[in-house]
Amino acid sequence: MKFNFKTLGLCFAAATLLAACSEPPEIAAKAAKRPDVAPYMGADNGFMTKNWTPGNQGSWTESVDKRTQGQNEYSRVK
Amino acid sequence: MARMKFICDTERCIECNGCVTACKNDNEVPWGVNRRRVVTVNDGIIGQEKSISVACMHCSDAPCMAVCPVDCFYRTDEGVVLHDKDICIGCGYCSFACPFGAPQFLSQGAFGTRSKMDKCTFCSGGPEANGSVAEFEKYGRNRLAEGKLPLCAEMCSTKALIGGDSDIISGIFNNRVATREKNGKYPGSKAFGWTTAYGGPDTPAPTPTPAAKIPGAN
Repeated sequence: MKFNFKTLGLCFAAATLLAACSEPPEIAAKAAKRPDVAPYMGADNGFMTKNWTPGNQGSWTESVDKRTQGQNEYSRVK
Repeated sequence: MARMKFICDTERCIECNGCVTACKNDNEVPWGVNRRRVVTVNDGIIGQEKSISVACMHCSDAPCMAVCPVDCFYRTDEGVVLHDKDICIGCGYCSFACPFGAPQFLSQGAFGTRSKMDKCTFCSGGPEANGSVAEFEKYGRNRLAEGKLPLCAEMCSTKALIGGDSDIISGIFNNRVATREKNGKYPGSKAFGWTTAYGGPDTPAPTPTPAAKIPGAN
């Protein structure tokens, strides 16, 4: 009977120690990656440029490419 | 759409630090953190003193992404390397791995405690809603979603720093190099950091983080 109590005690101690290694589900959920919204979907503020349609990737790409060429003095001075 | 990149033309940069100031002001970057810095080498040597504006280069095979123990980084379809500050634990591994010293930490308390990592986002925010106050407070402006380009590049007075689609900006840079060469000047054809960040011509294009790896993404 004495031996059984000792085994039981060891099992309880092992279970308690192992429980400390687990991660509560709410912490694991917080660490999950979140989806990002593509820039061509537009921004919900008053600073958007006017020459493209939010949600239309083609018009956004065209508008940004045109703006990129604005950094080229050789195309600006012609 | 190719990839969004920066080029700093060392033959044009005059170390005015306008890009640094614009970035800090527009993104309201806290005191002690600089997402962009201007580095000058060969000080005082006539003809060899060069200045380079350095920030995150949004590498093809980003070492910060590889070493992050909590996997807080992701790459967008535009090739921009971003991170989620809600996941970042501020361990600093990315800072040791980055060849450009881009990841920055705010020392905010006693015993050297650090903030979550902060770096250039190519003015494209983070996982919060585009243009939202929450996004601005954590990552700064999302100019790409407004149809604009990073402010540092757009306001550069000498157009030394150019940013945007890699095909277009490399075309602009190559044209300058050819013109300088034609006029008998030093061509300055080395695009600083491009080999380190994007590899050679045989390096395959990077793949964006697949939506399957991001729960809830379409």
